Formats: sequence, C-alpha cells, structure tokens
Amino acid sequence: MVSFQGVSKSYGAVRAVADLHLELHPGETVALLGPNGAGKSSTLDLLLGLRTPDTGSVSLFGTTPQRAIQLGRVGAMLQSGGLMEGVKVRELVRLARDLHPHGYPVDQILAAAGITDIADRVVGKLSGGQEQRVRFALATAGANDLIVLDEPTTGMDVSSRQTFWGAMRRQADEGRTVLFATHYLEEADEIADRVIVLHRGRVLADGTSAEIKARAGARRITFDLEGAADRGALEALPHLTSLTVSHAGSGSTVRIQSQDADATVHALYGLGLYPRNLEVSGLGLEQAFIAITTAEEAAR
Amino acid sequence: MTTLIKLEILRALRNKKFMFFSVIYPPALYLIIAGGADSKPLPGTGLNMGLYYMVSMAAFGAMTAVLLGNSERIAKEREQGWVRQLRLTALPGRGYVAAKIAAAATVSLPSILLVMIVAAAVKGVRLEAWQWIAIAVGTWLGSFVFAALGVAIGYLASGDAVRPVSMLCFFALAFLGGLWMPMTLLPQWVQNVSEWLPTHAYAALGTAVEAGGAPHVKDMAILLGYLVVFVGGAAWLYRKDTRKA
Repeated sequence: MVSFQGVSKSYGAVRAVADLHLELHPGETVALLGPNGAGKSSTLDLLLGLRTPDTGSVSLFGTTPQRAIQLGRVGAMLQSGGLMEGVKVRELVRLARDLHPHGYPVDQILAAAGITDIADRVVGKLSGGQEQRVRFALATAGANDLIVLDEPTTGMDVSSRQTFWGAMRRQADEGRTVLFATHYLEEADEIADRVIVLHRGRVLADGTSAEIKARAGARRITFDLEGAADRGALEALPHLTSLTVSHAGSGSTVRIQSQDADATVHALYGLGLYPRNLEVSGLGLEQAFIAITTAEEAAR
Repeated sequence: MTTLIKLEILRALRNKKFMFFSVIYPPALYLIIAGGADSKPLPGTGLNMGLYYMVSMAAFGAMTAVLLGNSERIAKEREQGWVRQLRLTALPGRGYVAAKIAAAATVSLPSILLVMIVAAAVKGVRLEAWQWIAIAVGTWLGSFVFAALGVAIGYLASGDAVRPVSMLCFFALAFLGGLWMPMTLLPQWVQNVSEWLPTHAYAALGTAVEAGGAPHVKDMAILLGYLVVFVGGAAWLYRKDTRKA
C-alpha cells in the first residue's frame, strides 16, 4: 500500500534519503527510528508528496501521494506542521472534518484525540503538548487508511504521552496502518509491530523490535570474578558482541553482550571459571540501536 | 472549502487591531489630501479634488489592506507550517486563494464605505444613488485582484523579503496607476505604461461612474485578466510550494 522504489533525495550536497526501498502492509504499526538527521522527516515528506524524489518513485494505494491525500486515504501530523492562529480548537477541527472526504462528527474527533476539554480554547494559547493533540485531531478527522505521524509526542509529558499512545493504538485497532517517526526508542519498542531503523537516509534494519535487538547482541551478561580475568579466554566465548573488564580491588567485573546468552553462559562455565553475582538482562532497543549504528560506522 | 472561507472571514473580523487601522486610515488620508481643496476641477479630468480623491483613496485604502495584509499573513502562515498542514488535506489550491480573497474583502468593504461616507459628509460630494452603489461595488470587486496578488507575493517571497517586495509592488502600482495624483499631471511615458496597470483600471472604474458614465469595457477586461493571472499563479504556487519557508 505504501511503496518506496529506489528513492533518493538530496538537498545541495546533503543526501537526505539514499536509494530507499520500503513497503508497508495494511494494518501494520511501524516505527521509523533514527537519530536527528537520519532522514526520517525527509522520508515522510516524500511519502506525503510534500517533496518530490530526485530519483525513484513513491506510491500510495497504487497512486501518487497527492491523489491519495485528495481521496482522503491519508491523515498526517507533521513536525513542521503549524496550526491556524486566531481560531478556536473546535473551529479548526470542524475545518479539518469538512475538508476530509469522509469526515467524522466533530465531537467524536475531539473525544478521540482527548481535547474535548480544550475545544473552546483559542489556538496559539495552547501548551506544546496540547498543540500536538490538536494536530493529531486534524490528522484523524476522517476515515483514513494510513496515518503518518512525525515525532508526535514531542513536547508532551509522560502522562499525556501515555494517553496519546492510547488514542493512537485505538486507531491501529480499527485496522489502520500507522507509521510514526520517533527518536524515543522506548516508544518504538513498546508500540510498533515493526521497526525500521534509518541511518544516513538508508534502511539499517527492518524487523520486529525483538529481531532488531537480536541482531545487535540481544542480552547483557554481567558477573564478578575473583582475581584477574583472562581476557583472551573471555574473548573466545561464543556469540560475543562486546566485552569490558574492569578491575576492582583483587577481583574484576566483566560485562558481556551476547547474541545467545544461554550458549555464552554455558561456555563460560566450561572455562572452569566461577562467576559470582551473574546477571543476564535484556538490552533495550536503545542499546540495540547504538550497536547497529556503531557497527555501521565501523564498516564504513 | 466553504468552511475555510467562513473561518477566514471570521478570523479577519476577530483581528480587531488590523481591522481598525485598515478601515480608519483611508478616510483619514482622504481628509488630509482632499480636505483643504477647493472645488475647482482638476486639469484634464473634469472632476474636482473631493470627487477624484474619493475614488482613488477608496481604491488605495482597499488595496493597502488586501495586498499588504494578505502577503504578510501568508508568508507568516507558511513559516509557521500551517500551509504545509493544509496541503495534507483535500483542499484544492483555488480554495485556499478564494478563502484569502474573502478574508481580504471583509476588511476592504468597510474601508471603502467609510471613505465614501466621509466624502459625502465632509466634502459635500453628491452623486446619484446608482453612482454610489456602482462605485462601492466596483471598488470592492476590484480589490479582489490585489488580494490575489497579495497571496501570490506571500508565496513568491519568504520571511524577511516579503515586506520589501510587497511594499515595492504596492507603491509602484499605486503611483504609476495614478492613485496618488491624477494621471494628467504625470509625464507621458508614465501615462502610457499606466494604462495597462491594474491600479489604473481599478481607479478608472470609479472615475468613469463619477463622470456619469459606465465603466469602460477595456478597464474591466484588464482587471479580469489580472485577476485570472494572479489567482491562477497563487493557486499554482500554493500547490507546488515545497519549501518549509
């Protein structure tokens, strides 16, 4: 339904999107994850037809982005999208509803976005988080098949963020495809079925967040050893992706990242060592992401 | 699309400061320029100053409000990203331009009427009923041309450049079109250029009516031509605007 075929886009000498291939499938909730400057916003701009690719093509529902928008199949909330000033929230939502070919009742839109209580406030006198929710209301004012959100929770505190994702999940539960860009890694981890890691305008990884973690050394193993550790022996452990040894007093603390923690720990005992305070813990997506990015940098 | 038009009109009415100054200054300027004038006819026009300046100040005032107001507001809305958001809706380009023209027309109508009231009350301008109505309606409809030009300028220039660009267009058009002084007082080459400017055609609508005749078809055709070009250009610029501005 969304398809990028070898899309590239440069601004002067800066290559924002480089030979991007991407397919989204109906009903998916997809996170576009990457640091600032990874090309997330550019990718979304291309997707929405706000920019035209230098090479390659973007299609939405088998047509152009512009046409898909005119048909009311796409709702979007942009980071760079502003609001009309000098009008009330309710008036603005009514406008978005009337412009949508299949608009919902205004009260329903307000309630779904959690802004019923600020409906009579004037736009321009809202907090950052409230503005974001109004933007969300504009993006969900009608029956869209695809919702695109660029860093939607910027400026929200923790509790309104939770409420927001609740509202967004309901959109996904109704069978919509949701694509959101974020650099909040825990959001991608928690909410998305699929995570696409973008780096320097290219897809670095594409899979479930579990797969992404697995690819980057999924588990961290920590333990203490008495006396000095034999680094060489530890480095030879299977499935190892990183190793740090720190000395404290007569003992040492070892930190390992492993793709297969079970096998690594088994081999560790096989070395005849007696690890104390052994802990095996999952890596957050953040570490996974840093590991992938670092590996990418090293390969260049 | 009608919702956007209504909302833009409502917003223009709510913007009291802009409304107040846009409405108040054309009659004020009229009083300053034509206030002390005697009733001798201006050379080459057959109209006296009170009458001549009623039309040109009504036109000038309407043009100021719509051209400068629109261009600056639109540049600001582009900067804030509202236009970007709007482009993600099914709104056609002409809908956006129509809404902006409607908002501008809301401001220009009272300023036109006020100049006419002041002219009648203070300068004792007397015309037939049909002439009053024809001048008011003609001047009002003519202001749409400059509202559309304002939208186009708001798209062509961005940020800091908007004000100088719109001012330049505005003063050049006002001066060369003879809004500030009768054309007959200007050099011949200016008069030759002026004939084809929208501002000249605009003022000529009212002047023809004042002299007791119908507006010239040529002037109406010129205005209509400019309207089509400006609206088309503005709508095209709206759709293709890809800069974040």
